[in-house]
Amino acid sequence: MRASKILSVLVDNKPGTLFRVTHLVRLMRLNIEGLTLGVTNGGDTCRMTFTLNGDDRTVEHVARQLMKVIDVIEAHTYGPQEVTARELALVSLKKFDPIQFGEEERQRLNVIDRSTAGVVVQIVGTAGEIDEFVRRAGESNVIDIARTGVAALPKEKQNA
Amino acid sequence: MSGAQALIEALKREKVEYIFGMPGGANLPFYDALWDSNIKHILTRHEQIAAHMADAYGRVSRRAGVCSATSGPGATNLVTGIATAFADSSPVVAITGQVPRGMTGRNAFQETDVVGVLTPVTKYTLQPLSAADVPSAIRKAFHIATTGRPGPVLVDVPKDVQQETAEVTFPESVEIRGYRSKAPLDPQDVERAADLLVRAKRPLLFGGGGIRISDASQPFRAIAELLMTPVVTTLQGKGTFPEDHPLSLGPIGMHGRAEANKLVSECDALLAVGVRFSDRSTGTFSEFCKDAMIIHIDADPTEFNKNKAVNLHILGDANEVLVSLYSAITRRISKKGEDNPWLKRVNEVREEMKSIPAYRDSYADLSGPRIVKKMREILPPDAILTTGVGRHQMWCEIHYQVLRPRTWITSTGLGTMGFGLPAAVGAKLARPDVPVVDLDGDGSFVMTEQALATAVEQNIPLISVVLNDRSLGMVEQWQRLMYNRHYIGVKFNGSPNFVKLAESYGAEGRTVGSLDEFARVLKDGLSSQTQMVIEVPVSPEEDVFPFMPPGKGIKDTVYGPPKESAIF
Repeated sequence: MRASKILSVLVDNKPGTLFRVTHLVRLMRLNIEGLTLGVTNGGDTCRMTFTLNGDDRTVEHVARQLMKVIDVIEAHTYGPQEVTARELALVSLKKFDPIQFGEEERQRLNVIDRSTAGVVVQIVGTAGEIDEFVRRAGESNVIDIARTGVAALPKEKQNA
Repeated sequence: MSGAQALIEALKREKVEYIFGMPGGANLPFYDALWDSNIKHILTRHEQIAAHMADAYGRVSRRAGVCSATSGPGATNLVTGIATAFADSSPVVAITGQVPRGMTGRNAFQETDVVGVLTPVTKYTLQPLSAADVPSAIRKAFHIATTGRPGPVLVDVPKDVQQETAEVTFPESVEIRGYRSKAPLDPQDVERAADLLVRAKRPLLFGGGGIRISDASQPFRAIAELLMTPVVTTLQGKGTFPEDHPLSLGPIGMHGRAEANKLVSECDALLAVGVRFSDRSTGTFSEFCKDAMIIHIDADPTEFNKNKAVNLHILGDANEVLVSLYSAITRRISKKGEDNPWLKRVNEVREEMKSIPAYRDSYADLSGPRIVKKMREILPPDAILTTGVGRHQMWCEIHYQVLRPRTWITSTGLGTMGFGLPAAVGAKLARPDVPVVDLDGDGSFVMTEQALATAVEQNIPLISVVLNDRSLGMVEQWQRLMYNRHYIGVKFNGSPNFVKLAESYGAEGRTVGSLDEFARVLKDGLSSQTQMVIEVPVSPEEDVFPFMPPGKGIKDTVYGPPKESAIF
């Protein structure tokens, strides 16, 4: 079945590792729909979170083969239900009227820039919540969008 | 000391004897530092040849073979050789020169992103960016290339790093966090494997290149003899179990032995050691050993369940696992007898297969099968045979018995034509005490024939037997059997005169007109200690059988030529 899968990879924080990882993703003809990465462990390692569109078998094949890549410390795949995931988006709008949104949704929003051309709104939420915000803001109202892609941690890890 | 001197000193500490390669603009400081060293440079005429030589040297010697090239075209010429070593898990360290750091990304003269190019076909790549970083890069490269599942490692050194001087220290050992070359063996897995094997009614051993790599032939054989289990191998694993042993069935696969292909489908327990279940060995994955319990032993955990789902996998070095598996079995049983229904069945299949067309004695005097059988008669058991890729290689798979490990050096994973002659040079330097013969086809031979120049120049004795059918024979066979005899792009109308070709390099050239003459000339060549090319004219029409057609299961193996023109 084709669906979004999360591939979480912990690597040594040094040049070239993203290239080594994405080589395998490309080899298996997977499209990267989201990618976040940032240093962890005081700069020692880097966690990459890929959102990939592909069947389970292919994504798992990539995760397993990644364990052979010398700069990779860990690689795991997760279904959307197995992780806690958040994404940040900056949405540039011609007009922004907070009244249009409910109380709960407004808490996720933050106006970070106002200019004569429009308003830049920051939203943090699940990928679905961001999609919903863009829909409600109105397609013709949107000037541009920059999404970070999701950062995700497995649910069992937080409980442990 | 300079980065180049540090490079040479680090190589000396790795006990490197030979560097196969070619100099050029970006690695000149490295070559200059060789001037004062006792490492011998073996000049090739193409960098691909250097990589194949280093690869074969690695496969035979158990140590990493070293090749070197300049930046740009020198480095890209290495690619086929490095990919060949990668596909067959061979320890190679490739050292390339690179444009100076400040020129990176400016499309400098002979600048190629060789780290980018080679990353997919190497175990690792390193690029030391200061002279002080050179020693640890080399230590890491050798450690990674030779431990765990071996493979090629690239060290790309910018020219100004070779030139700059720095205080350098040489580490004895290096820490590489993401790299685990050895995993602790789980004793429970071994006990379970022993239970499965002892309980099995029709067990079979399946050995691959991993047995050669970990020198596990002895415990592998001991287990076979203890359980009285027949043994099959991959093409790469040929010779890890002596093929003249009564329990040997030979290789399985697309051109495996008929009895091996037949019986692997009948076993109820398969002990697969150091194999990767390649499609060329197994045919359709899902059909392979469908009803058997499969135990898979490998040093590379990413091989488990990659192509074939198995019942039990054991991570570890083959030798270590097999030694403890042997003792686990001896705690359960003493030696099994020869009188059991499975061995009776094995003998029955052997008898039945004796009459298949592929095993007939009616081959022409000068034909692949008779030539390789004659070579086996003449060559001593420890002689090393290297091959190109094509029908000659497949005839060896079927008809040439390999008796000792590390005496069969062939490109299986990548199937690289042109491997045989350079491999013979590398093998001979690794084992100067044994005869080395390259069996080639004319198509393969002409791809890297200039390795003869190196052999003559360095006075490296070897023999190249070239089966000349003036065709890309294996492709022709496929066009005959599967493409309606449409012979497109396979016939050579401009082949060289191989005798004159050899002579022009300063080697000896012979052509033979009969099997007896071939035997005489081969014996001459073995005693002459020269470089000799023996051309054997053969028919392009002689196809290789048995043949498991591509995309089919191992049960669909065809034992002889079909009656109709197109069968598959």
